[in-house]
Amino acid sequence: MRSVHVVGVGYTRVGEHWGDSLTELMAEASLAAIEDAGVERVDGIYVASTFCEVTNNQAGISALVAEALGLRSVYGVRVEGGESSGLMALMEAYAAVASGLVDFALVVGGEKLSDLLPDEFNSVHSMTLPYDSMGYAGVTPASIAALLYKTYLERYEVPQEFVAQFPVLMHNNAEGVSHAQFPFKVKLEDVLGSPEVAPPLRRLECSAPCDGAAAVVLASDDSQTRRLSGQAVRIGGISIRTDYVSPFDREDPLFMTSVALSVDEALLRSGISRSELNVLEVHDSFSILAPLILESGGFSSRSESGPDVKSGKYSLGGELPINTFGGLKARGHPIGATALYQVAEVYLQLTGRAGKKQVDRTKAGAIISVSGFGTIAGTAVMLSGEMG
Amino acid sequence: MRFNFRPQNHWRFKRFRYRTEVLRCANCGTVNVTTRPVCRRCRSRNLQREELPERGRLVAFTTVKSPTEEHKELAPYIVGLVEFEDGTRIVTQITDADPEDLKTGMIVERVLRKITHDGDAGIIIYGFKFRPPIT
Repeated sequence: MRSVHVVGVGYTRVGEHWGDSLTELMAEASLAAIEDAGVERVDGIYVASTFCEVTNNQAGISALVAEALGLRSVYGVRVEGGESSGLMALMEAYAAVASGLVDFALVVGGEKLSDLLPDEFNSVHSMTLPYDSMGYAGVTPASIAALLYKTYLERYEVPQEFVAQFPVLMHNNAEGVSHAQFPFKVKLEDVLGSPEVAPPLRRLECSAPCDGAAAVVLASDDSQTRRLSGQAVRIGGISIRTDYVSPFDREDPLFMTSVALSVDEALLRSGISRSELNVLEVHDSFSILAPLILESGGFSSRSESGPDVKSGKYSLGGELPINTFGGLKARGHPIGATALYQVAEVYLQLTGRAGKKQVDRTKAGAIISVSGFGTIAGTAVMLSGEMG
Repeated sequence: MRFNFRPQNHWRFKRFRYRTEVLRCANCGTVNVTTRPVCRRCRSRNLQREELPERGRLVAFTTVKSPTEEHKELAPYIVGLVEFEDGTRIVTQITDADPEDLKTGMIVERVLRKITHDGDAGIIIYGFKFRPPIT
């Protein structure tokens, strides 16, 4: 297999883009990534969009993106894997570049959700749950998050702020980030005082509907691009796993086996250990998912992620900063694009382009993407030139 | 979403939705909620229909204050996790109760209720919910 590098990234601001179509957003992000990479051609386009049939009445969207980019006749495919669609598209492109099928791959994710009313968004978001046994009866992702949240607080006998401090950390990190949906700080009392969505879960513990698109360009080390002279970040390994669709059918609903297996496998494929990671992106679509991911992934002991946040372990400047641009809560969660924002942000960290959010001496980073409370979860490990 | 209300899309799940009929694996004992050809745990084809007990224990519950489009008329409504004697767990609506009436660990019983409907002229979807028992 050839080694595969991220050689350029691009993205739109996350938020409400009333005037732009889904295809336009993805084209904007793609052009920015292609320009950033300095490549002269793209051989394959990998598009991630989770809900474009429903929100935009559009199937076969890879051809629309290709046309919008002026890339007539190029190979194009769309990948859908719930909230992990972006990571799945990355893995497909990675495999194609590694095998030699494609030299330069464009991976772009986009979602358009701000046109929906809140209850319509909930219906669409509920598609990431098993519809035939849950969704049809009005079970929402927020209600599953709430049941897991209650189970967590009761089992470990910890107060709600153990979990509710995660959104505070995310908003701290997003402050001043130009592409973030909510680039401002919030206080713990703001989180705990925000309206209930599904108790104990509150509004400021949930990611919000939004629009956005993010893109990355992949190239092999056989390909000559200017990025490979210094601004390339090698993808050390990717792993994606599935699990039973209901968390309550698993041995322990608070342990996501798909996260644990994918973290282990991606690290193994990269030849590095957990302790060598300098920066981590976790999928905090709901506050409770951050502790569940950190504990399932082996970054905190069970029940210890709350104290670890409090001690600063996961803050900028801490031992393992997480979600340095605000994560899903504050940078935003345009579903199919989210994992590619994560990849782009780790790329910025590893190439020293993270500005005020720059973490010192970053050599290795990882992203963890989760769909449906661990129904699907994946990890990608990224290595800077020094480790690449 | 638009195509959810075709009658056959509910009719085919009637055994589960009307009386919580599931598939128990005769080989390993695992309960598989939706119909399928093999057991999700051991892949045995020897799956037998079984009705879950009418009563279970409420393990956790929450109130849905931000509902889906199909269920907004009912909001706020309660969603609970119910565990049966054998350890099988399902997520279901809890009805005929306010959150103050509910306690973790209490017994709840199955009842057939309206789930949603397709506008004023379309079909009505029925299915099970759970409620505190009528003694």
